[in-house]
Amino acid sequence: MMAVAMTSAGPSADVVLRADGLGKTFRLGFFRKRVEAVRDVSFEVQRGEIFGFLGPNGAGKTTTLKMLMGLIFPTRGRAEVLGLPVPSLSAKRRLGYLPETPYFYDYLTPEEFLDFAGALCGVPAATRRSRADALIARVGLDHARGRPLRKFSKGMLQRIGIAQALMGDPELVVLDEPMTGLDPIGRKEVRDLIMDLRKDGKTVFFSTHILPDVEMICDRAAIVVAGTLRDVGPLGRLLSARVLSTEVVLRAPAPPALAPPPGTRQHASSDGLRLDIPEGADVDAFLRAALAAGAALVSVSPRRESLEDLFVREATQATAPPRGHS
Amino acid sequence: MNRGAAILAIARNTFREAARNKILYSLLFFAVLLILSAVAVGELSLNEEVRMTRDIGLFGVDLFSVLIAVFVGVNLLYKELDLKTVYTILPKPIARWQFVLGKWLGMLTTLGIQIVVMGVVLALTLLAQGGRPDAALTKSLWLLFVNVTIVTSVALLFSSFSSPFLSGFFALGVFVVGRSVPDLRQLAARAGGGASGAVDVVAAVLPNLHLFFPSGAVIGADDAALPGQLLGPGYMAWTTLYGFGYSVLVLGLSMIIFARRDFV
Repeated sequence: MMAVAMTSAGPSADVVLRADGLGKTFRLGFFRKRVEAVRDVSFEVQRGEIFGFLGPNGAGKTTTLKMLMGLIFPTRGRAEVLGLPVPSLSAKRRLGYLPETPYFYDYLTPEEFLDFAGALCGVPAATRRSRADALIARVGLDHARGRPLRKFSKGMLQRIGIAQALMGDPELVVLDEPMTGLDPIGRKEVRDLIMDLRKDGKTVFFSTHILPDVEMICDRAAIVVAGTLRDVGPLGRLLSARVLSTEVVLRAPAPPALAPPPGTRQHASSDGLRLDIPEGADVDAFLRAALAAGAALVSVSPRRESLEDLFVREATQATAPPRGHS
Repeated sequence: MNRGAAILAIARNTFREAARNKILYSLLFFAVLLILSAVAVGELSLNEEVRMTRDIGLFGVDLFSVLIAVFVGVNLLYKELDLKTVYTILPKPIARWQFVLGKWLGMLTTLGIQIVVMGVVLALTLLAQGGRPDAALTKSLWLLFVNVTIVTSVALLFSSFSSPFLSGFFALGVFVVGRSVPDLRQLAARAGGGASGAVDVVAAVLPNLHLFFPSGAVIGADDAALPGQLLGPGYMAWTTLYGFGYSVLVLGLSMIIFARRDFV
Protein backbone atom coordinates (compact mmCIF):
# COMPACT_ATOMS: atom_id res chain seq x y z
CA MET A 1 0.00 0.00 0.00
CA MET A 2 1.26 3.47 -0.78
CA ALA A 3 2.22 5.73 2.05
CA VAL A 4 1.55 9.22 0.75
CA ALA A 5 1.38 12.23 3.05
CA MET A 6 -2.17 13.61 3.09
CA THR A 7 -1.22 17.25 2.88
CA SER A 8 -2.21 19.85 0.34
CA ALA A 9 1.34 19.93 -1.03
CA GLY A 10 3.53 17.20 -2.44
CA PRO A 11 2.51 14.17 -4.41
CA SER A 12 -0.98 13.94 -2.89
CA ALA A 13 -1.93 17.42 -4.14
CA ASP A 14 -2.93 15.90 -7.47
CA VAL A 15 -4.69 12.88 -6.03
CA VAL A 16 -8.39 13.26 -6.80
CA LEU A 17 -9.60 9.95 -5.45
CA ARG A 18 -7.92 7.74 -2.90
CA ALA A 19 -9.09 4.41 -1.56
CA ASP A 20 -7.17 3.15 1.42
CA GLY A 21 -7.65 -0.46 2.48
CA LEU A 22 -11.36 -0.48 1.62
CA GLY A 23 -13.17 -3.67 2.55
CA LYS A 24 -16.76 -4.82 2.82
CA THR A 25 -18.16 -7.89 4.48
CA PHE A 26 -21.86 -8.54 4.05
CA ARG A 27 -23.93 -10.64 6.42
CA LEU A 28 -26.36 -12.66 4.37
CA GLY A 29 -29.26 -15.00 5.00
CA PHE A 30 -30.91 -16.28 8.10
CA PHE A 31 -27.64 -17.43 9.66
CA ARG A 32 -25.96 -14.08 8.90
CA LYS A 33 -23.27 -15.82 6.90
CA ARG A 34 -20.25 -13.59 6.29
CA VAL A 35 -19.47 -12.85 2.65
CA GLU A 36 -16.37 -10.79 1.97
CA ALA A 37 -17.23 -8.84 -1.17
CA VAL A 38 -14.23 -6.49 -1.20
CA ARG A 39 -10.88 -6.93 0.54
CA ASP A 40 -8.25 -4.31 1.23
CA VAL A 41 -8.64 -2.27 -1.96
CA SER A 42 -6.19 0.66 -2.22
CA PHE A 43 -5.50 2.92 -5.17
CA GLU A 44 -5.11 6.54 -6.13
CA VAL A 45 -6.53 8.39 -9.09
CA GLN A 46 -4.52 11.39 -10.27
CA ARG A 47 -5.99 14.66 -11.51
CA GLY A 48 -6.85 14.72 -15.20
CA GLU A 49 -6.48 11.01 -15.88
CA ILE A 50 -8.92 8.43 -17.15
CA PHE A 51 -8.72 5.55 -14.74
CA GLY A 52 -10.25 2.17 -15.53
CA PHE A 53 -11.51 -0.05 -12.75
CA LEU A 54 -11.42 -3.40 -14.35
CA GLY A 55 -12.75 -6.77 -13.32
CA PRO A 56 -15.06 -9.61 -14.30
CA ASN A 57 -18.71 -9.59 -13.28
CA GLY A 58 -19.10 -10.08 -9.55
CA ALA A 59 -15.52 -9.00 -8.79
CA GLY A 60 -16.61 -6.26 -6.39
CA LYS A 61 -16.37 -3.26 -8.72
CA THR A 62 -19.86 -1.91 -8.03
CA THR A 63 -19.53 -2.56 -4.29
CA THR A 64 -16.29 -0.55 -4.28
CA LEU A 65 -17.88 2.27 -6.25
CA LYS A 66 -20.89 2.31 -3.93
CA MET A 67 -18.55 2.59 -0.95
CA LEU A 68 -16.90 5.57 -2.66
CA MET A 69 -20.35 7.12 -3.23
CA GLY A 70 -21.54 6.60 0.34
CA LEU A 71 -24.24 4.12 -0.70
CA ILE A 72 -22.56 1.28 1.18
CA PHE A 73 -20.60 1.72 4.38
CA PRO A 74 -17.17 0.07 4.28
CA THR A 75 -16.42 -2.52 6.94
CA ARG A 76 -12.76 -1.50 6.85
CA GLY A 77 -10.61 1.23 5.37
CA ARG A 78 -11.45 4.69 4.15
CA ALA A 79 -11.61 6.82 1.04
CA GLU A 80 -11.12 10.46 0.12
CA VAL A 81 -12.18 12.71 -2.72
CA LEU A 82 -9.78 15.64 -3.09
CA GLY A 83 -8.67 15.13 0.48
CA LEU A 84 -12.26 15.16 1.80
CA PRO A 85 -13.54 12.11 3.64
CA VAL A 86 -16.09 9.81 2.00
CA PRO A 87 -18.99 9.89 2.60
CA SER A 88 -19.43 13.59 3.27
CA LEU A 89 -21.46 16.33 1.64
CA SER A 90 -18.27 18.28 0.89
CA ALA A 91 -16.80 15.28 -0.97
CA LYS A 92 -20.07 14.64 -2.82
CA ARG A 93 -20.12 18.26 -4.00
CA ARG A 94 -16.93 17.61 -5.98
CA LEU A 95 -18.04 14.49 -7.83
CA GLY A 96 -20.64 13.30 -10.31
CA TYR A 97 -21.79 9.68 -10.48
CA LEU A 98 -23.49 7.51 -13.04
CA PRO A 99 -24.79 4.29 -11.44
CA GLU A 100 -24.74 0.92 -13.15
CA THR A 101 -27.87 0.28 -15.26
CA PRO A 102 -29.34 3.76 -15.23
CA TYR A 103 -32.84 3.88 -13.81
CA PHE A 104 -34.14 7.38 -13.49
CA TYR A 105 -37.50 8.97 -12.76
CA ASP A 106 -39.15 7.89 -15.98
CA TYR A 107 -42.02 10.37 -15.71
CA LEU A 108 -39.61 13.29 -16.10
CA THR A 109 -38.36 14.83 -19.32
CA PRO A 110 -34.58 15.30 -19.75
CA GLU A 111 -34.95 19.00 -18.93
CA GLU A 112 -36.90 18.30 -15.75
CA PHE A 113 -34.53 15.55 -14.69
CA LEU A 114 -31.41 17.66 -15.18
CA ASP A 115 -33.06 20.57 -13.40
CA PHE A 116 -33.81 18.26 -10.46
CA ALA A 117 -30.23 16.91 -10.46
CA GLY A 118 -28.89 20.47 -10.56
CA ALA A 119 -31.12 21.55 -7.67
CA LEU A 120 -29.77 18.66 -5.57
CA CYS A 121 -26.24 19.81 -6.40
CA GLY A 122 -27.08 23.33 -5.22
CA VAL A 123 -26.84 24.89 -8.68
CA PRO A 124 -28.83 28.18 -8.83
CA ALA A 125 -32.00 28.04 -10.95
CA ALA A 126 -30.73 30.36 -13.70
CA THR A 127 -27.51 28.37 -14.16
CA ARG A 128 -29.44 25.09 -14.08
CA ARG A 129 -31.41 26.02 -17.18
CA SER A 130 -28.42 26.99 -19.30
CA ARG A 131 -26.30 24.10 -18.06
CA ALA A 132 -29.07 21.58 -18.73
CA ASP A 133 -29.50 22.96 -22.26
CA ALA A 134 -25.78 22.72 -22.94
CA LEU A 135 -25.53 19.17 -21.55
CA ILE A 136 -28.57 17.93 -23.47
CA ALA A 137 -26.94 19.21 -26.65
CA ARG A 138 -23.58 17.76 -25.68
CA VAL A 139 -24.91 14.24 -25.16
CA GLY A 140 -26.90 14.47 -28.38
CA LEU A 141 -30.43 14.42 -26.95
CA ASP A 142 -31.74 17.66 -28.44
CA HIS A 143 -34.33 15.73 -30.42
CA ALA A 144 -35.75 14.11 -27.27
CA ARG A 145 -35.92 17.22 -25.08
CA GLY A 146 -39.65 17.04 -24.35
CA ARG A 147 -39.98 13.26 -24.21
CA PRO A 148 -40.41 11.46 -20.86
CA LEU A 149 -37.48 9.22 -19.92
CA ARG A 150 -39.66 6.09 -20.03
CA LYS A 151 -39.61 6.41 -23.81
CA PHE A 152 -35.81 6.50 -23.95
CA SER A 153 -33.66 3.68 -25.34
CA LYS A 154 -30.89 2.27 -23.17
CA GLY A 155 -28.24 4.27 -25.00
CA MET A 156 -30.23 7.48 -24.55
CA LEU A 157 -30.66 6.74 -20.83
CA GLN A 158 -26.93 6.19 -20.52
CA ARG A 159 -26.32 9.57 -22.14
CA ILE A 160 -28.80 11.45 -19.96
CA GLY A 161 -27.19 9.61 -17.02
CA ILE A 162 -23.81 11.06 -17.93
CA ALA A 163 -25.42 14.49 -18.32
CA GLN A 164 -26.96 14.34 -14.83
CA ALA A 165 -23.57 13.36 -13.40
CA LEU A 166 -22.16 16.57 -14.89
CA MET A 167 -24.91 18.93 -13.67
CA GLY A 168 -22.92 19.91 -10.58
CA ASP A 169 -19.83 20.63 -12.74
CA PRO A 170 -17.78 18.08 -10.75
CA GLU A 171 -14.02 17.68 -10.81
CA LEU A 172 -14.28 13.90 -10.57
CA VAL A 173 -16.70 11.90 -12.71
CA VAL A 174 -17.36 8.33 -11.58
CA LEU A 175 -19.09 6.05 -14.08
CA ASP A 176 -20.18 2.51 -13.23
CA GLU A 177 -20.11 0.31 -16.34
CA PRO A 178 -20.97 3.17 -18.72
CA MET A 179 -20.60 1.04 -21.87
CA THR A 180 -22.46 -2.08 -20.77
CA GLY A 181 -25.45 -2.97 -22.89
CA LEU A 182 -24.67 -0.43 -25.59
CA ASP A 183 -24.23 -1.19 -29.26
CA PRO A 184 -20.84 -0.41 -30.90
CA ILE A 185 -22.00 3.08 -31.92
CA GLY A 186 -23.30 3.81 -28.43
CA ARG A 187 -20.03 2.61 -26.90
CA LYS A 188 -18.02 4.82 -29.19
CA GLU A 189 -20.20 7.80 -28.29
CA VAL A 190 -19.66 7.19 -24.57
CA ARG A 191 -15.91 6.72 -25.15
CA ASP A 192 -15.77 10.01 -27.02
CA LEU A 193 -17.69 11.72 -24.20
CA ILE A 194 -15.20 10.41 -21.65
CA MET A 195 -12.28 11.65 -23.77
CA ASP A 196 -13.98 15.07 -24.01
CA LEU A 197 -14.34 15.18 -20.24
CA ARG A 198 -10.61 14.75 -19.87
CA LYS A 199 -10.08 17.57 -22.36
CA ASP A 200 -12.25 19.72 -20.08
CA GLY A 201 -9.83 18.98 -17.24
CA LYS A 202 -12.04 16.50 -15.44
CA THR A 203 -10.83 13.29 -13.89
CA VAL A 204 -12.75 10.19 -14.94
CA PHE A 205 -12.95 6.98 -12.95
CA PHE A 206 -14.98 4.24 -14.56
CA SER A 207 -15.57 0.56 -14.02
CA THR A 208 -15.93 -1.91 -16.81
CA HIS A 209 -15.48 -5.50 -17.82
CA ILE A 210 -15.17 -4.57 -21.49
CA LEU A 211 -11.45 -4.76 -22.15
CA PRO A 212 -11.13 -2.87 -25.45
CA ASP A 213 -12.69 0.19 -23.77
CA VAL A 214 -9.89 0.26 -21.25
CA GLU A 215 -7.22 -0.31 -23.86
CA MET A 216 -8.59 2.52 -25.99
CA ILE A 217 -9.05 5.31 -23.47
CA CYS A 218 -7.49 4.61 -20.08
CA ASP A 219 -4.26 6.10 -18.80
CA ARG A 220 -4.12 3.75 -15.86
CA ALA A 221 -6.19 0.88 -14.61
CA ALA A 222 -6.78 -1.22 -11.54
CA ILE A 223 -7.70 -4.86 -11.81
CA VAL A 224 -9.99 -6.34 -9.22
CA VAL A 225 -10.74 -10.05 -9.10
CA ALA A 226 -12.86 -11.81 -6.49
CA GLY A 227 -12.96 -8.72 -4.29
CA THR A 228 -9.18 -8.30 -4.25
CA LEU A 229 -7.14 -5.71 -6.08
CA ARG A 230 -4.67 -7.62 -8.20
CA ASP A 231 -2.73 -4.77 -9.74
CA VAL A 232 -2.75 -1.03 -10.37
CA GLY A 233 -0.73 0.94 -12.86
CA PRO A 234 -0.31 2.27 -16.39
CA LEU A 235 -1.57 -0.20 -18.97
CA GLY A 236 1.92 -0.57 -20.46
CA ARG A 237 3.20 -1.79 -17.13
CA LEU A 238 0.27 -4.04 -16.37
CA LEU A 239 0.73 -5.79 -19.69
CA SER A 240 3.86 -7.87 -19.75
CA ALA A 241 6.30 -7.22 -22.61
CA ARG A 242 7.22 -10.89 -22.89
CA VAL A 243 6.27 -12.87 -25.97
CA LEU A 244 3.66 -15.48 -25.09
CA SER A 245 3.89 -17.34 -28.39
CA THR A 246 4.98 -16.85 -31.98
CA GLU A 247 2.61 -17.37 -34.85
CA VAL A 248 4.26 -18.62 -38.04
CA VAL A 249 2.27 -18.98 -41.25
CA LEU A 250 3.70 -21.09 -44.07
CA ARG A 251 2.26 -21.31 -47.57
CA ALA A 252 0.49 -24.62 -48.22
CA PRO A 253 1.44 -27.26 -48.93
CA ALA A 254 4.14 -27.37 -46.25
CA PRO A 255 7.16 -29.65 -46.85
CA PRO A 256 6.58 -33.14 -45.37
CA ALA A 257 9.87 -33.10 -43.44
CA LEU A 258 8.78 -30.16 -41.28
CA ALA A 259 9.50 -30.74 -37.54
CA PRO A 260 7.93 -27.99 -35.40
CA PRO A 261 9.16 -27.51 -31.82
CA PRO A 262 7.38 -29.54 -29.13
CA GLY A 263 4.09 -28.03 -27.96
CA THR A 264 3.40 -26.29 -31.26
CA ARG A 265 -0.25 -26.21 -32.29
CA GLN A 266 -0.91 -26.23 -35.99
CA HIS A 267 -3.93 -25.94 -38.20
CA ALA A 268 -4.62 -25.28 -41.84
CA SER A 269 -6.19 -21.98 -42.77
CA SER A 270 -7.09 -20.26 -46.01
CA ASP A 271 -3.70 -18.55 -46.26
CA GLY A 272 -1.66 -21.66 -45.45
CA LEU A 273 -0.46 -23.65 -42.46
CA ARG A 274 -0.69 -21.76 -39.20
CA LEU A 275 1.74 -22.77 -36.41
CA ASP A 276 1.50 -21.43 -32.89
CA ILE A 277 4.95 -21.96 -31.37
CA PRO A 278 5.02 -21.75 -27.56
CA GLU A 279 7.16 -19.37 -25.51
CA GLY A 280 10.77 -20.58 -25.03
CA ALA A 281 11.03 -22.63 -28.22
CA ASP A 282 13.86 -21.86 -30.66
CA VAL A 283 11.83 -20.13 -33.35
CA ASP A 284 14.95 -19.06 -35.31
CA ALA A 285 16.22 -22.64 -35.64
CA PHE A 286 12.78 -23.85 -36.73
CA LEU A 287 12.50 -21.13 -39.37
CA ARG A 288 15.95 -21.92 -40.76
CA ALA A 289 15.11 -25.61 -40.98
CA ALA A 290 11.73 -24.91 -42.57
CA LEU A 291 13.22 -22.63 -45.21
CA ALA A 292 15.97 -25.15 -45.93
CA ALA A 293 13.29 -27.81 -46.44
CA GLY A 294 11.67 -25.62 -49.09
CA ALA A 295 8.86 -23.98 -47.09
CA ALA A 296 7.50 -20.60 -48.23
CA LEU A 297 7.10 -18.17 -45.35
CA VAL A 298 3.96 -16.00 -45.25
CA SER A 299 4.30 -14.27 -41.88
CA VAL A 300 5.94 -14.43 -38.46
CA SER A 301 4.21 -12.55 -35.63
CA PRO A 302 5.12 -12.60 -31.97
CA ARG A 303 2.04 -12.51 -29.73
CA ARG A 304 2.46 -10.36 -26.61
CA GLU A 305 0.14 -10.32 -23.64
CA SER A 306 -3.12 -8.50 -24.29
CA LEU A 307 -5.37 -7.05 -21.64
CA GLU A 308 -7.59 -10.05 -22.14
CA ASP A 309 -4.71 -12.42 -21.35
CA LEU A 310 -3.92 -10.36 -18.29
CA PHE A 311 -7.54 -10.54 -17.22
CA VAL A 312 -7.63 -14.30 -17.59
CA ARG A 313 -4.24 -14.67 -15.88
CA GLU A 314 -5.36 -12.57 -12.92
CA ALA A 315 -8.71 -14.31 -12.70
CA THR A 316 -7.11 -17.74 -12.67
CA GLN A 317 -4.65 -16.61 -10.00
CA ALA A 318 -7.48 -15.26 -7.87
CA THR A 319 -6.59 -17.52 -5.00
CA ALA A 320 -2.92 -16.50 -5.06
CA PRO A 321 -1.76 -13.52 -2.91
CA PRO A 322 -2.06 -10.14 -4.70
CA ARG A 323 0.92 -8.33 -6.17
CA GLY A 324 2.11 -5.03 -4.72
CA HIS A 325 0.33 -1.88 -5.86
CA SER A 326 1.78 1.23 -7.39
CA MET B 1 -25.34 24.99 -0.06
CA ASN B 2 -28.88 25.73 0.93
CA ARG B 3 -30.12 22.50 2.48
CA GLY B 4 -33.73 23.59 2.27
CA ALA B 5 -33.49 23.87 -1.51
CA ALA B 6 -32.48 20.22 -1.88
CA ILE B 7 -35.31 19.09 0.42
CA LEU B 8 -37.79 21.18 -1.56
CA ALA B 9 -36.46 19.76 -4.83
CA ILE B 10 -37.11 16.23 -3.55
CA ALA B 11 -40.54 17.21 -2.21
CA ARG B 12 -41.45 18.79 -5.54
CA ASN B 13 -40.31 15.73 -7.45
CA THR B 14 -42.30 13.45 -5.13
CA PHE B 15 -45.37 15.58 -5.67
CA ARG B 16 -44.78 15.60 -9.42
CA GLU B 17 -44.56 11.81 -9.42
CA ALA B 18 -47.90 11.56 -7.60
CA ALA B 19 -49.46 14.17 -9.86
CA ARG B 20 -48.51 12.02 -12.88
CA ASN B 21 -49.75 8.78 -11.32
CA LYS B 22 -53.05 7.68 -12.85
CA ILE B 23 -53.92 5.37 -9.94
CA LEU B 24 -54.19 8.33 -7.58
CA TYR B 25 -56.58 10.05 -9.93
CA SER B 26 -58.82 6.98 -10.03
CA LEU B 27 -58.81 6.82 -6.21
CA LEU B 28 -59.73 10.49 -6.12
CA PHE B 29 -62.49 9.84 -8.65
CA PHE B 30 -63.99 7.12 -6.46
CA ALA B 31 -63.78 9.39 -3.42
CA VAL B 32 -65.72 12.08 -5.25
CA LEU B 33 -68.20 9.44 -6.39
CA LEU B 34 -68.72 8.31 -2.78
CA ILE B 35 -69.31 11.90 -1.63
CA LEU B 36 -71.85 12.44 -4.39
CA SER B 37 -73.55 9.15 -3.61
CA ALA B 38 -74.18 10.51 -0.11
CA VAL B 39 -76.86 12.68 -1.69
CA ALA B 40 -78.79 9.60 -2.77
CA VAL B 41 -78.45 7.98 0.65
CA GLY B 42 -79.51 11.24 2.28
CA GLU B 43 -82.77 11.15 0.33
CA LEU B 44 -83.70 8.03 2.28
CA SER B 45 -83.51 9.87 5.56
CA LEU B 46 -86.15 12.18 6.95
CA ASN B 47 -85.06 15.83 7.00
CA GLU B 48 -81.50 14.79 7.71
CA GLU B 49 -80.19 14.98 4.14
CA VAL B 50 -77.50 17.56 4.86
CA ARG B 51 -76.24 15.73 7.92
CA MET B 52 -76.14 12.43 6.02
CA THR B 53 -74.18 14.01 3.19
CA ARG B 54 -71.79 15.57 5.65
CA ASP B 55 -71.20 12.35 7.60
CA ILE B 56 -70.87 10.08 4.59
CA GLY B 57 -68.76 12.72 2.83
CA LEU B 58 -66.32 12.99 5.73
CA PHE B 59 -66.21 9.20 5.92
CA GLY B 60 -65.29 9.16 2.20
CA VAL B 61 -62.54 11.75 2.67
CA ASP B 62 -61.22 9.77 5.65
CA LEU B 63 -61.31 6.40 3.90
CA PHE B 64 -59.70 7.50 0.67
CA SER B 65 -57.09 9.78 2.21
CA VAL B 66 -55.96 6.92 4.47
CA LEU B 67 -55.96 4.44 1.55
CA ILE B 68 -53.87 6.84 -0.54
CA ALA B 69 -51.54 7.53 2.41
CA VAL B 70 -50.92 3.80 2.91
CA PHE B 71 -50.71 2.97 -0.78
CA VAL B 72 -48.27 5.75 -1.61
CA GLY B 73 -46.54 5.84 1.79
CA VAL B 74 -45.37 2.22 1.69
CA ASN B 75 -44.01 2.70 -1.82
CA LEU B 76 -42.37 6.03 -1.12
CA LEU B 77 -38.92 4.67 -0.23
CA TYR B 78 -39.36 1.13 -1.51
CA LYS B 79 -39.92 2.32 -5.06
CA GLU B 80 -36.76 4.41 -4.96
CA LEU B 81 -34.81 1.32 -3.91
CA ASP B 82 -36.58 -1.10 -6.22
CA LEU B 83 -36.19 1.12 -9.27
CA LYS B 84 -32.67 2.03 -8.15
CA THR B 85 -33.32 5.75 -8.54
CA VAL B 86 -31.84 6.17 -5.07
CA TYR B 87 -28.41 5.31 -6.52
CA THR B 88 -28.55 8.45 -8.62
CA ILE B 89 -29.91 10.72 -5.90
CA LEU B 90 -27.96 9.85 -2.76
CA PRO B 91 -24.48 10.38 -4.27
CA LYS B 92 -25.58 13.98 -4.86
CA PRO B 93 -24.60 16.41 -2.09
CA ILE B 94 -27.62 15.71 0.11
CA ALA B 95 -27.86 13.89 3.42
CA ARG B 96 -30.06 10.82 3.67
CA TRP B 97 -32.35 12.44 6.23
CA GLN B 98 -32.96 15.28 3.79
CA PHE B 99 -34.05 12.76 1.21
CA VAL B 100 -36.53 11.13 3.62
CA LEU B 101 -37.83 14.51 4.76
CA GLY B 102 -38.26 15.68 1.16
CA LYS B 103 -40.19 12.53 0.25
CA TRP B 104 -42.43 12.96 3.32
CA LEU B 105 -43.15 16.62 2.59
CA GLY B 106 -43.93 15.85 -1.05
CA MET B 107 -46.29 13.12 0.05
CA LEU B 108 -48.07 15.39 2.54
CA THR B 109 -48.47 18.07 -0.12
CA THR B 110 -50.11 15.48 -2.36
CA LEU B 111 -52.44 14.34 0.42
CA GLY B 112 -53.21 17.91 1.46
CA ILE B 113 -54.27 18.84 -2.07
CA GLN B 114 -56.38 15.69 -2.35
CA ILE B 115 -58.15 16.43 0.91
CA VAL B 116 -58.79 20.01 -0.27
CA VAL B 117 -60.24 18.72 -3.56
CA MET B 118 -62.48 16.21 -1.74
CA GLY B 119 -63.43 18.89 0.81
CA VAL B 120 -64.43 21.34 -1.92
CA VAL B 121 -66.60 18.69 -3.60
CA LEU B 122 -68.22 17.94 -0.24
CA ALA B 123 -68.81 21.65 0.50
CA LEU B 124 -70.35 22.21 -2.93
CA THR B 125 -72.59 19.18 -2.45
CA LEU B 126 -73.76 20.55 0.91
CA LEU B 127 -74.43 23.92 -0.65
CA ALA B 128 -76.45 22.30 -3.43
CA GLN B 129 -78.57 20.61 -0.78
CA GLY B 130 -79.21 23.90 0.96
CA GLY B 131 -76.77 23.21 3.75
CA ARG B 132 -73.96 25.44 4.93
CA PRO B 133 -70.31 24.34 4.93
CA ASP B 134 -69.24 25.73 8.29
CA ALA B 135 -66.05 26.02 10.32
CA ALA B 136 -66.70 22.59 11.80
CA LEU B 137 -66.34 21.06 8.34
CA THR B 138 -62.99 22.82 7.83
CA LYS B 139 -61.85 21.69 11.26
CA SER B 140 -62.87 18.10 10.54
CA LEU B 141 -60.98 18.16 7.23
CA TRP B 142 -57.92 19.59 9.02
CA LEU B 143 -58.05 16.76 11.57
CA LEU B 144 -58.26 14.24 8.74
CA PHE B 145 -55.13 15.83 7.26
CA VAL B 146 -53.28 15.53 10.59
CA ASN B 147 -54.54 11.93 10.69
CA VAL B 148 -52.91 11.10 7.34
CA THR B 149 -49.60 12.69 8.35
CA ILE B 150 -49.44 10.02 11.05
CA VAL B 151 -50.56 7.24 8.70
CA THR B 152 -48.00 8.35 6.09
CA SER B 153 -45.21 8.44 8.68
CA VAL B 154 -46.13 4.98 9.97
CA ALA B 155 -46.27 3.59 6.42
CA LEU B 156 -42.91 5.22 5.69
CA LEU B 157 -41.40 3.72 8.83
CA PHE B 158 -42.48 0.19 7.93
CA SER B 159 -41.35 0.63 4.34
CA SER B 160 -37.87 1.67 5.49
CA PHE B 161 -37.16 -1.95 6.45
CA SER B 162 -39.95 -4.07 4.98
CA SER B 163 -41.63 -4.93 1.68
CA PRO B 164 -44.57 -2.80 0.49
CA PHE B 165 -47.06 -5.61 1.07
CA LEU B 166 -46.03 -6.17 4.67
CA SER B 167 -45.66 -2.44 5.26
CA GLY B 168 -49.17 -1.84 3.93
CA PHE B 169 -50.52 -4.64 6.08
CA PHE B 170 -48.82 -3.28 9.21
CA ALA B 171 -49.73 0.33 8.47
CA LEU B 172 -53.41 -0.55 7.97
CA GLY B 173 -53.24 -2.64 11.14
CA VAL B 174 -51.89 0.34 13.09
CA PHE B 175 -54.62 2.51 11.59
CA VAL B 176 -57.44 0.12 12.55
CA VAL B 177 -56.14 -0.43 16.09
CA GLY B 178 -55.34 3.27 16.56
CA ARG B 179 -58.85 4.21 15.48
CA SER B 180 -60.40 1.62 17.78
CA VAL B 181 -58.73 2.59 21.05
CA PRO B 182 -62.02 3.70 22.76
CA ASP B 183 -63.77 0.48 21.67
CA LEU B 184 -60.82 -1.56 22.88
CA ARG B 185 -61.00 0.21 26.24
CA GLN B 186 -64.69 -0.64 26.57
CA LEU B 187 -64.02 -4.26 25.64
CA ALA B 188 -61.12 -4.45 28.09
CA ALA B 189 -63.21 -2.94 30.89
CA ARG B 190 -65.83 -5.64 30.34
CA ALA B 191 -63.23 -8.42 30.09
CA GLY B 192 -61.47 -7.34 33.29
CA GLY B 193 -58.14 -8.86 34.36
CA GLY B 194 -55.03 -7.39 32.76
CA ALA B 195 -56.83 -6.38 29.58
CA SER B 196 -57.11 -2.71 30.58
CA GLY B 197 -53.37 -2.54 31.22
CA ALA B 198 -52.71 -4.06 27.79
CA VAL B 199 -54.94 -1.49 26.10
CA ASP B 200 -53.13 1.28 27.99
CA VAL B 201 -49.83 0.05 26.54
CA VAL B 202 -51.33 -0.11 23.03
CA ALA B 203 -52.77 3.40 23.43
CA ALA B 204 -49.42 4.70 24.65
CA VAL B 205 -47.41 3.20 21.77
CA LEU B 206 -49.76 3.29 18.80
CA PRO B 207 -51.21 6.57 17.54
CA ASN B 208 -54.61 7.44 19.03
CA LEU B 209 -56.19 7.98 15.65
CA HIS B 210 -59.73 8.14 17.04
CA LEU B 211 -58.91 11.69 18.09
CA PHE B 212 -58.97 12.75 14.45
CA PHE B 213 -62.38 11.38 13.56
CA PRO B 214 -64.19 12.55 16.65
CA SER B 215 -67.57 11.28 17.65
CA GLY B 216 -69.46 12.31 20.76
CA ALA B 217 -68.00 9.32 22.59
CA VAL B 218 -64.45 10.51 21.95
CA ILE B 219 -65.04 14.07 22.99
CA GLY B 220 -66.96 13.05 26.07
CA ALA B 221 -70.38 14.19 24.95
CA ASP B 222 -73.31 11.98 24.18
CA ASP B 223 -74.61 14.27 21.49
CA ALA B 224 -72.77 12.77 18.55
CA ALA B 225 -74.97 14.72 16.18
CA LEU B 226 -73.02 17.90 16.76
CA PRO B 227 -69.34 16.93 16.91
CA GLY B 228 -68.36 20.06 15.03
CA GLN B 229 -69.49 22.32 17.84
CA LEU B 230 -67.33 20.40 20.24
CA LEU B 231 -64.16 20.94 18.22
CA GLY B 232 -63.02 23.85 20.36
CA PRO B 233 -59.66 25.60 20.05
CA GLY B 234 -58.19 23.57 22.90
CA TYR B 235 -59.14 20.25 21.31
CA MET B 236 -57.90 21.36 17.88
CA ALA B 237 -54.57 22.62 19.23
CA TRP B 238 -53.95 19.53 21.35
CA THR B 239 -54.81 17.01 18.62
CA THR B 240 -52.77 18.93 16.04
CA LEU B 241 -49.78 19.02 18.35
CA TYR B 242 -50.18 15.36 19.22
CA GLY B 243 -50.55 14.39 15.54
CA PHE B 244 -47.55 16.31 14.27
CA GLY B 245 -45.48 15.33 17.30
CA TYR B 246 -46.19 11.65 16.73
CA SER B 247 -45.51 12.00 13.00
CA VAL B 248 -42.17 13.72 13.52
CA LEU B 249 -41.11 11.09 16.04
CA VAL B 250 -41.94 8.23 13.66
CA LEU B 251 -40.37 10.12 10.76
CA GLY B 252 -37.20 10.52 12.83
CA LEU B 253 -37.08 6.74 13.33
CA SER B 254 -37.40 6.21 9.57
CA MET B 255 -34.54 8.66 9.01
CA ILE B 256 -32.31 6.80 11.45
CA ILE B 257 -33.06 3.43 9.83
CA PHE B 258 -32.59 4.86 6.34
CA ALA B 259 -29.32 6.56 7.28
CA ARG B 260 -27.80 3.28 8.47
CA ARG B 261 -28.74 1.13 5.52
CA ASP B 262 -26.39 -0.24 2.90
CA PHE B 263 -27.85 0.24 -0.56
CA VAL B 264 -26.53 -2.94 -2.14
